[in-house]
Amino acid sequence: MGIHRLRLASPLALATAFVLAACGGSGASSTPPTQTGPLSLGVIAPFTGPAAEFGTLLTAPCLAATDLINANGGVSGHQVNCTSIDDTGDPADAVPNVTKAIATTSNFDFAIGLESNTAATTVPLVNGAKIPFFTTNGLVAFTKNTYPYYYRMTPGDDANGAAFAVWAVQQGYKSVAIVFQNNIGSEGNLPGLTSAMPRLGGSIALNLTIPADSASYSAEVERVIAAKPDVLIWSADPQTTATFMGNYKSLNNGVLPPMVTATDSLTPDFFNAVTKVVGIAYVTSKIWLVGSYFDQTTPAFSTYKAALLADSKTHDIAPVLSTVGPPAGAYDGINIMALAMIMAKTTVGSYYNSYILQVVSPKSGAVVVNNFADGAKALAAGKQIQYIGVLGKPTFDKYHNSAGEFDANKFNSDGSATQVGTISGSQVLQLLG
Amino acid sequence: MQLLIEAIGFGIASGAVIALGAVGFSVQFGMSNVLNITYGSLMTLGAYIGLVLTDRGVNVWISLAIAGVVVGAVSVGFHRWLLAPLVRRGTRAFAIVIVTVSAGVVLQYVIVAFAGPDAKSYGEQSGQTFYLLGVVLTASQVAIIVLAAVLMLGLHLLLTRTTLGRAMRATASNRVLAQSCGIATDRISDIAWMLSGMLCGAAGVALAITTVSFDFTLGPIFLIPMIAAAVLGGIGQPYGAMLGGLVVGIASELAAAYTNPAYREVVAFGILVVMLLVRPNGLFGAAWATRRLMA
Repeated sequence: MGIHRLRLASPLALATAFVLAACGGSGASSTPPTQTGPLSLGVIAPFTGPAAEFGTLLTAPCLAATDLINANGGVSGHQVNCTSIDDTGDPADAVPNVTKAIATTSNFDFAIGLESNTAATTVPLVNGAKIPFFTTNGLVAFTKNTYPYYYRMTPGDDANGAAFAVWAVQQGYKSVAIVFQNNIGSEGNLPGLTSAMPRLGGSIALNLTIPADSASYSAEVERVIAAKPDVLIWSADPQTTATFMGNYKSLNNGVLPPMVTATDSLTPDFFNAVTKVVGIAYVTSKIWLVGSYFDQTTPAFSTYKAALLADSKTHDIAPVLSTVGPPAGAYDGINIMALAMIMAKTTVGSYYNSYILQVVSPKSGAVVVNNFADGAKALAAGKQIQYIGVLGKPTFDKYHNSAGEFDANKFNSDGSATQVGTISGSQVLQLLG
Repeated sequence: MQLLIEAIGFGIASGAVIALGAVGFSVQFGMSNVLNITYGSLMTLGAYIGLVLTDRGVNVWISLAIAGVVVGAVSVGFHRWLLAPLVRRGTRAFAIVIVTVSAGVVLQYVIVAFAGPDAKSYGEQSGQTFYLLGVVLTASQVAIIVLAAVLMLGLHLLLTRTTLGRAMRATASNRVLAQSCGIATDRISDIAWMLSGMLCGAAGVALAITTVSFDFTLGPIFLIPMIAAAVLGGIGQPYGAMLGGLVVGIASELAAAYTNPAYREVVAFGILVVMLLVRPNGLFGAAWATRRLMA
């Protein structure tokens, strides 16, 4: 009896599947659906709690991008609104908030944010809703992932670590002492750094993890001095850095080692705290800050900064954002997704997602565009485009990660920074294996 | 061996700062039986008063003295107008602890409102480095160790050799009995809170000198090792707090020298837990204190 039912069911199922497929039940091959009204761009970030500042920082590039998109006719006529979705910075609390936003927000077609603290829970949710998103998290876990709607334009923390090693060796330093504060961001750099250093012919003289805000780091400093490194590879908050370097100066007759650290430290707080303790000469000549490439002389950057300055809500933080990579990556991501929507002739994520890589891929005869307006104009004229944004030319791997290029910077005496060299992104990726 | 000697030296320097704060905390608790969590924020206040003064060119050690006096006065006010009325009304001990936590948070954010949240520094104050029998210490560390030793000795002499000290100990031991013996216990309490507040303010400035860079979380962060030192020594026992400070400081530096420094506090607090399992009342527990009072 059961066998008969199965035999009858099989042709029925095939016929049903055929009818559903013919009705456009799946994929980009069918007629793209249309939406009416404005589109919602989800900014998934903490807007409350201790990390609330991050929500403000990520809303700014959203406003800058959507101001420009809306001023240029919107996405295929749709205006775009930034919608704040509070992930609270806590992975558990983020789940109900993001789930609710996905269920209740009309035309929720793209998203940015999904930062390191909450990415483990928010990425699967947004990906499951088939909403393309550009994340700002640096977690190594996402360096190889299986989420088709996931994109990242800033390097993973492991790539940053490898870039530290490349820069140290390029400067002629073969023996390094690694001193990282025990937090998720700093320690994420370790795997890349420890794997890259031997491959570059260098050695790790010492690898220490230190707690933040100790009264003294004298014992740790003595261990570093005894290891006799050529350079210190460092990652810690401004206060911890100042205390450690102050102890180092006292215990080593005023002599401090050169330091390679992350561009995360390109902040007035770090500059002021460390300068006051070890002096401006050391800070401007012996500290290299390595991070994702961020050329401030490109047309894309000029457009980005002008948009930040033009909006009264972002005007005041424009100078800060000018030196921070992840918000710029979010801005680029919005432009890329918006142009992919125009290219796909639909705003629905499951359809336009496959066009995202086409927006950035080099093609013969393609027009290089640096902003949404030029891209939309070229597409309207029937041309192919290649978007090169604030973070340069995106080169996504099969996991949709584009680490991009890296650069090294030095502080100027006023606390601003000057780029002093670049590091090839492909070399960094090779070192990670 | 060299690292061991150096680590012990660093531990004595860290321990001296912890001891300064721990002794003040212990004196307050001994006198009033109140676990005053605001103590951490009062240390922060001391550090910021020091900052205001050093920024105006005042010598850092004079700043330490002034900060001590100001924080001492604030402590007296805090006790007289907030804690004492609560105690008189029979507020439960746990509720009073919560009040001190709340007052500490308020004070912390008042400091932020005036000084901002970013890191501050008195600048490089470490001075010349001294090398003696394998111990490496900076001039400021030596000064803090000497200062701590002098203040401890002064407190010891005050408590054991003066009428005021005997009155303080009597008040701490049995307030009602002390009153019936004619001791002005309220005045004695004020003096005790002034002295402990002075130690608190001095500890705040000493901490700021030691850490080189600090922000509004300075005091609350270091309150935990200070309470640990006070508990280790036997809460309410100033001498115990001195020794407790040294134990916490040296254990922490030895852990940083010989293990993963990320666990330096884990080791220090692990020792604390083990020692309290062996001696539940601390190194100088109740029995020792009774003998001292009877002496």
